[in-house]
Amino acid sequence: MNTGGQKPRAGGGGLHRLAEPAPVEVGVDGAGSPEQVAGRKVIAIRESWLVEDRWWTSEPIRRHYWEVVDERGAVCVVFRQPGNRWLVHR
Amino acid sequence: MPNPTLPPYTELHAHSAYSFHDGTSLPDELVAAAVESGHGALALTDHDNLSGAMEFAQAAKGMGLRAIHGAEVTLDDGRHTTLLVESAQGWRNLCRIITIAHKDTRNGRPGAPAKPPRLSIHDLLSHAEGLVCLTGCADHGVHDEATARTLLEGFGPDHLRVEVQRPMHQGDRERNDALARLAARLGVPTVATGNVHSHDRTRVPLQDAFVAIALGRSLDACEPERRGNGSHALTTPDRMAQRFSEMPEAVAQSCELAERLRFDLTCDLGYRHPREGDGDAVRELAEVCGAAFDGRYGDSTPGLRQEAKARLEEELGVIDGLGLSGFFLLHRDMLELAREVAAEVRGPDTVRSVLPPGRGRGSSVSSIVCYLTGLSHIDPVAGKLCLGRFLNDDITSVPDIDLDFPRDIREKLIPRVHQRYGEDRTALVAMFPTYRARSAIRNLGAALGLPAAEIERVARSSEGWSGKSVGRDIETALGPGAAANPRWQWLVRLAGEAHGLPRHISQHPGGMIVATEPLIDCCPVIPSAMTGRRIVQWDKDSCADAGFLKIDLLGLGMLSAVERCVELISRTRGERVDLSRIPLDDPATFKAIRAAETTGVFQIESRAQMSSLLRTQPQTLDDITIQVAIVRPGPIQGGAVNPYIERRRRRLADPNAEIEYMHPSLEPVLKETLGTIIFQDQVLEVATAFAGFTAGEAEGLRRAMSRKRSSAAVEAHRERFIEGALRLNGADEELSSRVFEMIRGFSGFGFPKAHSAAFGLLAYQSTWLRVHHPAEFLCSLLDEQPMGFYPPDSLVHEAQRRGVTVLPVDINMSRVECTVEGGAVRLGFGRVKGVGKECAAAIVSARETEGLWANTADLAARSGAAGTSLQALAWSGACDSLSGSRRAALWDLGVTAMAEMGDAGTQLALPLAVESPVLPELGEWGRAMADYATTGVAIEGNPIRIIRPRLPRRAVRSADLPTIRHGSQTTLAGLVVARQRPSTAGGILFLLLEDETGTINAVVKPKVYEKHRLLIRSEPLLLIDGTLERPAAAGGGISILVKAVASLGHSLEGKATVRDLFEADQRERDASQPLAAADAPDDQEIVLQPLPRASSGRRGR
Repeated sequence: MNTGGQKPRAGGGGLHRLAEPAPVEVGVDGAGSPEQVAGRKVIAIRESWLVEDRWWTSEPIRRHYWEVVDERGAVCVVFRQPGNRWLVHR
Repeated sequence: MPNPTLPPYTELHAHSAYSFHDGTSLPDELVAAAVESGHGALALTDHDNLSGAMEFAQAAKGMGLRAIHGAEVTLDDGRHTTLLVESAQGWRNLCRIITIAHKDTRNGRPGAPAKPPRLSIHDLLSHAEGLVCLTGCADHGVHDEATARTLLEGFGPDHLRVEVQRPMHQGDRERNDALARLAARLGVPTVATGNVHSHDRTRVPLQDAFVAIALGRSLDACEPERRGNGSHALTTPDRMAQRFSEMPEAVAQSCELAERLRFDLTCDLGYRHPREGDGDAVRELAEVCGAAFDGRYGDSTPGLRQEAKARLEEELGVIDGLGLSGFFLLHRDMLELAREVAAEVRGPDTVRSVLPPGRGRGSSVSSIVCYLTGLSHIDPVAGKLCLGRFLNDDITSVPDIDLDFPRDIREKLIPRVHQRYGEDRTALVAMFPTYRARSAIRNLGAALGLPAAEIERVARSSEGWSGKSVGRDIETALGPGAAANPRWQWLVRLAGEAHGLPRHISQHPGGMIVATEPLIDCCPVIPSAMTGRRIVQWDKDSCADAGFLKIDLLGLGMLSAVERCVELISRTRGERVDLSRIPLDDPATFKAIRAAETTGVFQIESRAQMSSLLRTQPQTLDDITIQVAIVRPGPIQGGAVNPYIERRRRRLADPNAEIEYMHPSLEPVLKETLGTIIFQDQVLEVATAFAGFTAGEAEGLRRAMSRKRSSAAVEAHRERFIEGALRLNGADEELSSRVFEMIRGFSGFGFPKAHSAAFGLLAYQSTWLRVHHPAEFLCSLLDEQPMGFYPPDSLVHEAQRRGVTVLPVDINMSRVECTVEGGAVRLGFGRVKGVGKECAAAIVSARETEGLWANTADLAARSGAAGTSLQALAWSGACDSLSGSRRAALWDLGVTAMAEMGDAGTQLALPLAVESPVLPELGEWGRAMADYATTGVAIEGNPIRIIRPRLPRRAVRSADLPTIRHGSQTTLAGLVVARQRPSTAGGILFLLLEDETGTINAVVKPKVYEKHRLLIRSEPLLLIDGTLERPAAAGGGISILVKAVASLGHSLEGKATVRDLFEADQRERDASQPLAAADAPDDQEIVLQPLPRASSGRRGR
């Protein structure tokens, strides 16, 4: 959703995106899979998947997702966008 | 331990474009990509069909890849299983499974789209032998244990595998873990597959667009159904092994299974010719020919008789040697069946009843066996027709026998063939309409969500062929900026990629396969869209590769028209015309042919043929045989046309004029065509006479030149040709190369002489009918539409110019079809759009039993016709005799409550007592537009006559052209009859325009065409300005070399494109504004502009 570049105020009503992905530092291995997310070691990759869509629009989507477990046992979903930009979902 | 030298993975699940909108690559593209990426084998598993299997097998064999065959079949509940062929029995079962899956796809109402194929588990399991079953794809596979156990019981543990895929979707791991557990419980291995839909990642967007097209939605509206990423593109075995790194046993299983699947379609099909090896067939065929010999040659000269006898013996020997006697007997049997059908269709007391049921065409006309068994009507010995193209000792595939039938006979014959030989033993050959420019623009444009009106504009401005030039189409229609828009750019790219990919299965015009063993053991057979017909899932090339015997039962409109014509002559004049006995040297007929007065006749009526006739001046039937063959891509590309015409004119001026040949050995074979290659069989004769090819080798060269899949194969013959020419004739390489190039130039489509002779005879017969019975001939042409080069409107105008009277549709005079009434042609109700055949027949029947219609109320009450049909009749002028005019008739119908069918019976029409107002008469233009909207024929003549006073003063009529000097600047207005831009003409477009005095040929060179392309492609009325050309060599033919084009239709508010019945009135009023031409210099575009109105009138309405 386009919020016009301004974050909606908490409790201010209106629509806003939940769990908006945030940029994150990710270290990768030789195959390009995450080894470290936000400075924490990845101990397991539960799944990875690809989303390549909306290529016919001015905003094509090309994301490689990984669902990983970090050294604390926390599960998070990170994805890589073109330009090697990494974001984290949760 | 896996062998490190072998690929670690084999792809066992791939779709080609024959999965129709669920696959984007042709089989040969998949094969090439598989070889390139290191695969040793590949399975093709299209959805519910084997249409691409033979093409795949041939391509794979040629490129050293092992082809594995299979299909992904859809079960009753919509789930899929992947079936792979292990043995010949497996192939037979797969063909039967797919045949069963399709058997109810066409049992809905006629014309409804096909239902999706569905298969019961029971039918699947009853045909399990020789097949390996995989449990199906990630989204639609069999994933429940109960069904999987049922499959296990049917296929057994050695022939069932649990299929695991990795489409790179969220949830893959969970699903595959569950499938691995299922496999363990069943005690069968898992096998990894890739569910390939594209041979390369570049086709991934096209796959998304195809899904949108298949669903009839836009890309934006079908996200859940699309594949979501590009992982369905074929990739390397290593990458696939890596993708399944957590399931190495499933990867290894793909290779183990592939090793077992050794069925080879190119040699294990098991098809046998009907009566192959039947010794009785040889004797029976000889007896049939012997019995017919005296009837055909009893009155011939001893020389011809002897020659025929020798030819028959030679042919019977070749046929016996090839084991084809049963093949000929089967065709004769089929002809006898056609004779029965023809007798039923024609009735016993008609002039048609004495005619043979059909006629031969194609190379089979050169066979004396075909002549004696009735499969051909041309004497090949008297006609000096060469057999080698049809039949020779070295033949590598079975010959084709083509038969033409009148449409009504063919329609009944095809289902009768199915009945006679068995539904499982007969089928029509398939064909696969492919994406071309217009279909790609419309379908892909809609998928991309582009504006519908703009898509249509681009589609109409396109030449309709190459999907690779859509960018230019967009620029032409929408301006140079449009193509820069990203979505239009995607359309350009996708249309280029889609070009040539099959869209759906369809039926070949007439190719019929007949087998003595069940055909459904060789290839699936499915119901056609046309009730009672069945089609095999292979096209003619695949059928030929399979060695199937094919007979072409073709419908020929002109054959129907001439039969209709002789019947009409008998009814109207009491004259019985036997076309087989008309004189073949009728002076009036040849005079018309030499003057190119051939509109409406068979084959020699087109613009190009007419201009050629003026130059070649045919004198005999043999000349017409050449004439029929000359305007074809083969002779044109081979550079034969101009040399032939130049030599022909030289010979006409001086019968002793010398003709030059490239080599003396070519003189005997090219003598009748004056040193040029006009006929396809001359390619064979040249190869034989000049390079010493055997008949089989020469036929191999010809086939290589004509087949779409083997353009490179021609080169393979070149070396052999040059060697042979040196050995046989001592020809040097330079000369041999020139002769080879002459042959290769012919590689486009050309006619064999036998075919030309058959068509030439029909061309002559139809011209004879045109000359001696013009009204009946026109009548027959109108009733057999669509056919031929000219639309009905042009046929009528041309006949009117020759003095044939054409009368309008009349509610009290017309019949369903057109009729001849006192020497004039009366249009029938069948010509009126919106009046169905049954409705028209009911109107005629009620009139004949209960009397003429007294008024429109009577018509509405008694006819039982729907209101819309009656309105269409009123607008066509059919009710003028009841109401006085079209508008009055519409008014009268409007105030009549129509008859209605109800449960309690028919509620009769009730005329309301409303006084009719005085309505203004429809003007000439309005009548013409109403005619176009209803009958498609402006019966009062070409509409240019009406607007003539408004045209620029310098605009001349076509009839004036003979008085204008060669090279003069000339302006003309005309209705576009035909636009042709043959690929052989270097980008030149030929326009045929018609005005009130005749037709005009206009030649538009590429530069002018590109400037005015949208106008030329889409406008019905044009004003052209150019140079008059009448070169001496044209034999009096005149054309205009166009410099500028302007639209008349646009300036006249588009009246000529009226499509809605009732909009013409308003357009007529709008167009009544006076027009004047802004005089423009000759090299500028001519512009017609409306003059300012004298009074404001209705402006701003």
